[in-house]
Amino acid sequence: MAAINFGYTISKPRVIDLDRNNLRKSDEILREMPELQTCIGCGACTAICTAGNLTSFNFRRVHTLVRRGEYQGAYEEMNKCMLCGKCRLVCPRGINTRGVVMLIKRKLGDF
Amino acid sequence: MTFYAPFCLPFILGAAVMFLTLAWKWGKWLWLLPRRDKMRLLRGLPTRRTLQAVGEVISESLLHRRIFRVNPLLGYMHMSLAFGWFLLIAVGWIETIAYLGFRYVPLQGHVFFKYFATGLAHKPVFDQLMDLLLLFVLSGVALAWGKRFYSRAMGLKRTTKHVLGDRVALSALWFIFPARLVAESTTCAIYGGGGFLTGGIGGWMADHIGIMPLLTMESVAWWFYSSCLGIFFVALPFSRYMHIFTEIPLIFLRRYGIRSGEKESSFDNFQVEACSRCGICIDPCQLQSVLGINDVQSVYFLRDRRYNHLRLQVADNCLMCGRCAERCPVDIDLNTLRLNSRDTMHNVPDERRYGYFKGVDRSSGEGKVGYFAGCMTLLTPRTLSAMTTIFEAAGEEVWWADREGGVCCGRPLKLAGETDSARKMMKYNAELFRKHGITTLVTSCPICLKVFREDYDLPGIEVLHHSEYILRLIRAGRLKLEHGSTRFTYHDPCELGRGSGIYDEPRAVIEAVGELFEPASTRENALCCGSSVANTAISDGQQVQIARSVATELEATGAEVIVTACPLCKKAIGRGTQRQVRDLSEIVAASIK
Repeated sequence: MAAINFGYTISKPRVIDLDRNNLRKSDEILREMPELQTCIGCGACTAICTAGNLTSFNFRRVHTLVRRGEYQGAYEEMNKCMLCGKCRLVCPRGINTRGVVMLIKRKLGDF
Repeated sequence: MTFYAPFCLPFILGAAVMFLTLAWKWGKWLWLLPRRDKMRLLRGLPTRRTLQAVGEVISESLLHRRIFRVNPLLGYMHMSLAFGWFLLIAVGWIETIAYLGFRYVPLQGHVFFKYFATGLAHKPVFDQLMDLLLLFVLSGVALAWGKRFYSRAMGLKRTTKHVLGDRVALSALWFIFPARLVAESTTCAIYGGGGFLTGGIGGWMADHIGIMPLLTMESVAWWFYSSCLGIFFVALPFSRYMHIFTEIPLIFLRRYGIRSGEKESSFDNFQVEACSRCGICIDPCQLQSVLGINDVQSVYFLRDRRYNHLRLQVADNCLMCGRCAERCPVDIDLNTLRLNSRDTMHNVPDERRYGYFKGVDRSSGEGKVGYFAGCMTLLTPRTLSAMTTIFEAAGEEVWWADREGGVCCGRPLKLAGETDSARKMMKYNAELFRKHGITTLVTSCPICLKVFREDYDLPGIEVLHHSEYILRLIRAGRLKLEHGSTRFTYHDPCELGRGSGIYDEPRAVIEAVGELFEPASTRENALCCGSSVANTAISDGQQVQIARSVATELEATGAEVIVTACPLCKKAIGRGTQRQVRDLSEIVAASIK
């Protein structure tokens, strides 16, 4: 029996299953840039971002997803970055954000 | 007279290997030069530049004048070895002609002339002259030994850590001249003759050693001398001593206008192999002096690149402040070489990148003068508002290129090696500038300034740093400033000073509003703030460490306010000091009448 369409849908679950995701690349990234673990997710990098000011690029979102093993589209997103380095100056934890961008691109280039 | 003895063999073989390898290397590099560079070379040959190049070869490859500027003793050491050896060869050649007239003498005949010339009547002038020259070279060898033990005497805190191949060549080189002294002295002891040095030692030997041991000794000594030469010549093209011959074509090619670019090219080989690994670039490096990082300096970078084991960590770990290039005695374009290595490692040509630039134009205002704040200035709003005040006070109509956010100038990407992507930004910005019909482009960020001047194609648009622009306003009487009694000190940003050669304008502006005190390292020798966008390897803590060391020097001047002309330097130094750190425009805006 065909379901009656009431005009409502269920959103796709947004749960990230760490057990199911392949964390190998993520671990490699954290090993090379351990300071990324000190990120408090404040989003200052994203607020100040030159690229984020012009397009939907969101550095905080992308690197957070990458750390959780969600690599889909991360390389293409990171390629929007202009590497201007403002994020590095505003980061309250002093994370080498430009290094993070380059590292993620290097690790996920062929994903 | 035959000019052959069995002991000549190592020398002949060594020289043959060396000349063949040199011919092969140079031939290959010249052949692989891009067509444009080959044309430059051909067109340059019959011009005055060739003569200028010859002059530079004499002053640099032989006399080493640039090293004398670093330290006189170090300069003397290099000169005595290079110029002394050259004179030994040249005068030796003349000596052969004087003895034998113009006739063909094989190479070993010239080099081992003392051995073959025992039957000829002596010419004491040449004996004395050649001994004097040998002493000259030996004094250099002695200094080189001394430098191993106490390099500070020659103004070097640290010297290069050499690889095995270099050590072999170095040992052979150091033995060549003492071996020559012993060999010639022994021959003099047996056959007489010789100048004050070889003759003197020879006389002493003749008095104390019997003839049979002397004959054995002679054979051993000449064999040893020839072997040292042979080993050195074989090692030369593969070790640091390749610089001896490579610097010469490098000087010529450079005079003909051939330069390294953002992509690797065949010309880079001449630059890379012209590095003598003298280690003069190590001391100026702040990564070394402040952070104790010992394996990334230009000397090691060039070495790794030459032997094809350059690692990402070495290529990326450099502030590109240019302090080393400023002191390099061979004048190698160190920053450009590092940049094109990064290009090889990082560049990803991607057509779709930065598609979002299309139709972005957030500029405002109208005017012949365009102001490009740059990303970093947008992070230092005091600079931005100071510039607003200055433009208003001067009554300038300004087109604000990026006050509401714009596209980066492209230099950070270029410095990171993504040169193709950087080109996209340059193209976008250049079109934006042209569209708005500005005739002057002012920027307060030296990073942007350098890329605008060097990589942008902006015909009809004059690019100015705000220090130059403000000075013009002052000189034209459009800005009336009050001269106060505040004591300022000025920090030269790398990209503005060494990068763009702007030293005097900011100082003139500061002197118009207050008193200027120079720090210990200033102008060409100025320190880097440590937060350079060129370095993606060092951590935040290390950046602060460098900033503190720079701030200490600036504070030592006793100035109340530290002034700089770069938003990034301002941010960086601000983290290392309690004093006020101000941009040039801020102190100007504050003293407008």
